[in-house]
Amino acid sequence: MIDLSVSIGALKLQNPVLTASGTFGYAEEFEGLIDFRLLGGIVTKTVTLDPRPGNSPPRIVELPNGMLNSIGLPNLGVERFITEKMPYLRRLGTRIIVNVAGRTGEEFVECVRRLETADGIDAYELNYSCPNVKEGGLSFSSDAHVAGRVTAAVRAVTKRPLITKLTPNVTSISDIGLACQDAGADAVSAVNTLVGMAVDIRTRRAKLATVTGGYSGPAIKPIALAKVYELARRLSIPVIGIGGICSAEDIVEFLLAGATAVQMGTVNFYEPTATVRAVEDLEKFCRAQNIFAVRTLIGAMEL
Amino acid sequence: MAEKFIENTRVVDLQPLGAANFLLTLEAPLISRAATAGQFIQVAVPRCSVLWRRPFSINDVSTENGLVEILFQILGRGTRALAEVKRGDTLNVIGPLGNGFRVESTVRRALIVAGGLGIAPFPFLLKRLGEASIPSVVLYGVGRREQLCCVDRLRERAEVYLCTLDGSAGEQGTVVDLLEKHLRENPPIPDLHLFTCGPTPMMRKVQTIAEKHQLSGQASLETVMACGFGACVGCAVPMRHPQPGVQEYYLACKDGPVFNLEEIIIHD
Ligand SMILES: Cc1cc2nc3c(=O)[nH]c(=O)nc-3n(C[C@H](O)[C@H](O)[C@H](O)COP(=O)(O)OP(=O)(O)OC[C@H]3O[C@@H](n4cnc5c(N)ncnc54)[C@H](O)[C@@H]3O)c2cc1C
Ligand SMILES: Cc1cc2nc3c(=O)[nH]c(=O)nc-3n(C[C@H](O)[C@H](O)[C@H](O)COP(=O)(O)O)c2cc1C
Ligand code: FES
Repeated sequence: MIDLSVSIGALKLQNPVLTASGTFGYAEEFEGLIDFRLLGGIVTKTVTLDPRPGNSPPRIVELPNGMLNSIGLPNLGVERFITEKMPYLRRLGTRIIVNVAGRTGEEFVECVRRLETADGIDAYELNYSCPNVKEGGLSFSSDAHVAGRVTAAVRAVTKRPLITKLTPNVTSISDIGLACQDAGADAVSAVNTLVGMAVDIRTRRAKLATVTGGYSGPAIKPIALAKVYELARRLSIPVIGIGGICSAEDIVEFLLAGATAVQMGTVNFYEPTATVRAVEDLEKFCRAQNIFAVRTLIGAMEL
Repeated sequence: MAEKFIENTRVVDLQPLGAANFLLTLEAPLISRAATAGQFIQVAVPRCSVLWRRPFSINDVSTENGLVEILFQILGRGTRALAEVKRGDTLNVIGPLGNGFRVESTVRRALIVAGGLGIAPFPFLLKRLGEASIPSVVLYGVGRREQLCCVDRLRERAEVYLCTLDGSAGEQGTVVDLLEKHLRENPPIPDLHLFTCGPTPMMRKVQTIAEKHQLSGQASLETVMACGFGACVGCAVPMRHPQPGVQEYYLACKDGPVFNLEEIIIHD
């Protein structure tokens, strides 16, 4: 029996495979396609204090080995999330991590405060880094002081494990990560999407209505891996690796580079069973390699 | 949410139809049994470097034999690769997806308006309309004769009028011209219901005409789709009557692809 479990602070996961926010809806979209109980956990689509409609289309562009999106965080708002989405999520038999965003630090705090009244939430992930929200969304992620201040303010209203999700679109991701750690975050997750764009050369228009958007998918894996490596070297709290992960092999790479767990995103769109297959393959890999506990892989890259 | 499946389907047949169109028959017992007309499937295209699956309307099903048919045209890399599959190959498919056409009990006559590959979902719909004993007229327009698909199958199930841009089959002109002429010659009766699918500019004109004649109707829309089942929220379709700030978009894959004409804004 191979031990696949890992710990993110006080949060125990039966295996290191999570779904990435915004790529797994509120899980119900995957009903019938996968067995949720096999996952390490589910990170929900970002919820905000007030409902949001999202950006105008076109919102997505396919690229040879990745995609661009400018979805813009459409969601029902925290109240309806609690009454309409949580009852389903909490009975899935897996960990539920609720991803939260706000325009201001107060909105983050208020959103988490409301979520504190709901049962069945195992952790929060603060989305500091969505590149698709205009109102200064990036300042939370690109300014270490702001990131630290918001993290501390949210920390003050919850005892639940707190993860801050970082953007790669900064000079030093680990400076931001350190500020979150110092402010009481239990873990960081990285990376969110990279800012990118594409132009239609015939119509001479940007392929996204917002012109620029977030780049994700297999193409960003090497970049994400380097960011995770940097974070794991400088931080003492766990790092959750995200970016282009499609298979158990990809997961092992991230673990070796220092990730404690991973999230799989874009792959869910075209291979909805990728997460559960990765869990199965990870176990097979460990067995073949005589690895008795997957956590022994964390940061075990030879230098 | 309606039940959907991931099936490893077997290619039973791939038949070239005129120009660059193909009729692909897949053995997909679970999907064929669950499907309703107007729903679609997401096909993982093998041996080609596209990231996303490719969506196709269900053209027809045979529940007895567990078959699902799609009609497609070569447009880019994905469809080019799909045109190279061989009998016996396996294709991984998700479906049936989306909400199909609704055939309310108030519908007593159906008028189908299809442009180009927009004909794809209608053989299946005509089967349903036939079962409900609803008489149907099909107006079907393409660029030139070679682009016509499944006309015999349509004729078994409906009264069919064709048009081509170059006049090589049926009347010369667009299917929008044909619709206007048809409505002039056959003033719409109450309980006539429109079903339309085709290029966006065409469907927008059909929407305008429907409004002018106070006809109810449904359109099957196409948008880019990363997932096809509501997970990416990429396939936004603007609502005609939005709740500003709260809900301004439908999802083509989940709320559609079939919408009531009066509910949506049809963009290019
Ligand atoms: C719900 C739904 C049902 C569909 N049903 C059918 C069907 O029954 N038969 C069929 O042939 N096609 C159908 N389509 C369209 C089909 O999915 C696309 O033609 C296909 O994805 C193109 O893939 P590709 O890799 O060959 O082209 P790509 O390489 O992706 O694109 C090539 C070119 O075609 C353009 N393009 C891509 N998709 C579309 C589109 N949907 N409409 C117009 N231009 C497009 C691109 O912008 C690009 O310029 C449907 C689409 C949707 C959303
Ligand atoms: C369509 C789409 C929507 C996303 N929405 C969110 C979101 O709502 N909140 C969030 O924190 N991240 C969001 N992300 C970012 C992903 O969670 C993830 O960080 C990123 O896509 C990189 O991982 P991947 O390459 O595996 O997709 C979204 C990504 C995509 C592609
Ligand atoms: S295509 Fe992904 S939500 Fe519609």
